[in-house]
Amino acid sequence: MATDEERWVQLARQGDREAFRCLVEAHARPLFVLCSRITRDAAMAEDAVQEALLNAYRHLADFDGRSSFKTWLHRIAVNAALEQIRRQGKFDYVENDSEEDSDFLERCMDETPSPRHHAQGEEIRRNIDRELERMTALERSAFLLRHVEGHSIDDISQTLSLNISACKQAIFRAVRKLRGALQPLR
Amino acid sequence: MQPITDNDLILYFYRDGLEKQRIDEIDDAMFASPPLRQRYMALKRMLTNVDGAAIEPDPEFTDRIWRKLASQIDAKPVHRMRRRVFTPVRFAMAASVLLAVAAGIGYYAGRTSAPQNAMASRVLDAYVADHLRATEGLLLTASNSNSSEVLAGNRELAQSLVQSNRLYALAAVRAGNTRLADFLRQLEPVLLDLANQPADASIQSMDGLRDYLRKTDLLFEVRATQARLDTADKHKI
Repeated sequence: MATDEERWVQLARQGDREAFRCLVEAHARPLFVLCSRITRDAAMAEDAVQEALLNAYRHLADFDGRSSFKTWLHRIAVNAALEQIRRQGKFDYVENDSEEDSDFLERCMDETPSPRHHAQGEEIRRNIDRELERMTALERSAFLLRHVEGHSIDDISQTLSLNISACKQAIFRAVRKLRGALQPLR
Repeated sequence: MQPITDNDLILYFYRDGLEKQRIDEIDDAMFASPPLRQRYMALKRMLTNVDGAAIEPDPEFTDRIWRKLASQIDAKPVHRMRRRVFTPVRFAMAASVLLAVAAGIGYYAGRTSAPQNAMASRVLDAYVADHLRATEGLLLTASNSNSSEVLAGNRELAQSLVQSNRLYALAAVRAGNTRLADFLRQLEPVLLDLANQPADASIQSMDGLRDYLRKTDLLFEVRATQARLDTADKHKI
């Protein structure tokens, strides 16, 4: 039996405005959270959601149901968020994939977190926020899609138009950069 | 057994991107080696800390988005049941017709008054946006496919796109859109490269192209320009 969402998609493909409104109401807020994580800016995230939903509406005929509607929409939203970053001139690509950092975990392997570490939780969060800011848009997107959104690497590589290896490298680089968030506290 | 790198541990954490055999090897090593367990715990702690608060939208957010969307949707209704029939041969036939139109548009835009010029520029934008969509598909296929049949089809498509790319660049110059013309000229070497790949192109030569695409963000630039043209087209309507 078709779910509500499948029915809405079907009706919206036939031009039913109210059905599309139901889809917007179901997805707009989660899309905003996703876009704001990528853009790090509420206004850009809102513009990205607006653009993504309009694009989705205009290309509903291209949605073939092979992935879930949510995944399809996420792909469009991630690209809209990256496009916002590009328009703001904040899009950077840093190729710093040296192997010198390959054993970085060895240098941050304390035993269990001490009470001092717990007390420093707020500072760690601030540092993580700063490190996320320092990542390139691609690294941040790849990492957040994998880590926060739980998308597969395969899926992310399609979303970001990267091959699998480049997608993994983007995630690796992002994780390495996060090391900096913990370093001052060790 | 191959040494377990940090990258292996990251993929292990996500249980994604590793062969089952490699996961089993890491499981066994983790059991046997306290230092490896420590490295893994360090990674887990680091990643757990990332799950911090995201920016939440204000309560009016969805209504605001819908109000704007509703007006945009009313201005441009959905394309119903649009079929995607996109083969190199069909594209080449369609392109030859469109190119004649586009070249005429560029010429027309260079010689006419402001309102007529705006109309010609809108038509040119729409054609170039379609051209960039085809180019994006071409680049995506080149980036992701290793199938010789698919790459052969891609080569034919690239050959047809080279010609159209030149004419659209000329039309853009005639229409006074130097930014677009410059961007299209930047695309030409890549299109030529793809159009002239030998039938037995080695994986290495495709990897070179893939690296180039990744490092230059060309795909994103194609998309960005395409989106800008679509948006410009929408605003002009």
